[in-house]
Amino acid sequence: MKFVRFLAVVFAVAALAGAAQADKRKLIVATEGAYPPYNFVDADGSLQGFDVDFAKALCEKLNADCDIIKQDWDGMIPGLIAKKYDLIVASMGILPEREEKIDFSIPYYQSPTALVANKSAGITAGADGFVDPESLAGKKVGVQRATAYETFARQKWPKVEVVVYDSSESADLDMTAGRIDARFDDFIVLQNGILKSDSAADYARVGNIWAEKDFGSKGEGIGVRKGEEDLRDAVSKAILDMRADGSYQKIDAKYFDFDIYGE
Amino acid sequence: MMALPQFFDLQGYGHLLMEGAAITVGVGIAAMAVSLVLGMLGALARLSERRWLRRTGAVYTTVVRGVPELVLMLIVYYGGTVLLQKLLSLSGGDIRVDIDAFLAGTIVLGFVYGAYATEIFRGAFLAIPQGQIDAGQAYAMSPGQIFFRIKLPQAWRLAIPGLGNLWLTLLKATSITSVIGLTELARQSDLIKSPTHKPFTTFFLASLLYLAMTALSDLLRLRAERWASAGFRRS
Repeated sequence: MKFVRFLAVVFAVAALAGAAQADKRKLIVATEGAYPPYNFVDADGSLQGFDVDFAKALCEKLNADCDIIKQDWDGMIPGLIAKKYDLIVASMGILPEREEKIDFSIPYYQSPTALVANKSAGITAGADGFVDPESLAGKKVGVQRATAYETFARQKWPKVEVVVYDSSESADLDMTAGRIDARFDDFIVLQNGILKSDSAADYARVGNIWAEKDFGSKGEGIGVRKGEEDLRDAVSKAILDMRADGSYQKIDAKYFDFDIYGE
Repeated sequence: MMALPQFFDLQGYGHLLMEGAAITVGVGIAAMAVSLVLGMLGALARLSERRWLRRTGAVYTTVVRGVPELVLMLIVYYGGTVLLQKLLSLSGGDIRVDIDAFLAGTIVLGFVYGAYATEIFRGAFLAIPQGQIDAGQAYAMSPGQIFFRIKLPQAWRLAIPGLGNLWLTLLKATSITSVIGLTELARQSDLIKSPTHKPFTTFFLASLLYLAMTALSDLLRLRAERWASAGFRRS
């Protein structure tokens, strides 16, 4: 049995400076593995998902050899600080509380938000491509209680009757029962919920997808230890490079039928 | 009944659950071994005639039993790693220290449950009638002889019910090792529930596995009790 494995690997500071690209840098990337379709385990135990494919492409851009490992969400940030790994690619939102502990790259995606409505409700998109608030007048829109979606709906659509639910599942059930006309939620949740249900044909997304920045959030970033600005900036630059050369769009298309980058 | 094999297959993810169960049992047994050793040493310390040993034992059981296992786990695994890194990098350079999660889990669980085992052994030793020890002394037995011939055989008998209970608690506590990256049964179920979209089935199967482990443990405990009280059976 492999019992004691206590290794101290000494990293030359010179290699981190990365001026000479003589040999490939070694990086360990952590993801959660329990957040489909972003990261999850396959039946053979291997990691899959948007985050995982993105991390692989990112490592290629950084010219690094990467190990991608599973890490429980609760220990994600402590593990980075304790140098168990070098990067977090786990759909981690860039929040001020987290920025006190670790640094983030620029966002590599923004959680999508959309309105899915009953096709017969007559809700339409306006001139700006987003849902027309006038067409929503008097309609019942289901949202999860105490979320950014509820706040947004109450502020932007004063004529809407907002109906709050404890979970997206119960809101979906009420929509199929005809009690509400539309659902306003994370689009991935809606795609895996109401748009996968037996009566999916009756419903469709109306208008454009909102990015997180429309709700005042920054989006999802890649976590880097504080004090490693070189690595952080290299990651940010790699994200922009992947957008520019189309490798990002290729991964995006594999998982989503819209651009999750949120430009 | 007919769908049973498929039920356990869990869309091809079933074997991952088994792998998780194997790690749970592995950490559990290793940690139990550590806690038995620490518990015996702790009990001897607490019953020692030397005051500093008694004090050390008392501090150990009071502090460890008073702090949640999860907190200790995080302190040792993350705090310990950072501390080691700080110490080692005093000599300069950037150093990566990696403590194996299995080892860390075993040490922390063993350390925590060793404190409970200390109290179980202490209670067992105290339950031995003083008259028997006096008798041993009257026969001019050395303290070592008294320990191995009179105290220890009876301490086992008295401690086994408590230790059996401790084992069940420890086995279930292995689930907290998931925070330090060990993919044991609970963490594995958590990972499997999302791709299979079958949270209930997954956790139900996991609980059956835990139940199988504890049921088997109880059988073993019964046999151990019979073995330890071979010279003491009343009926």
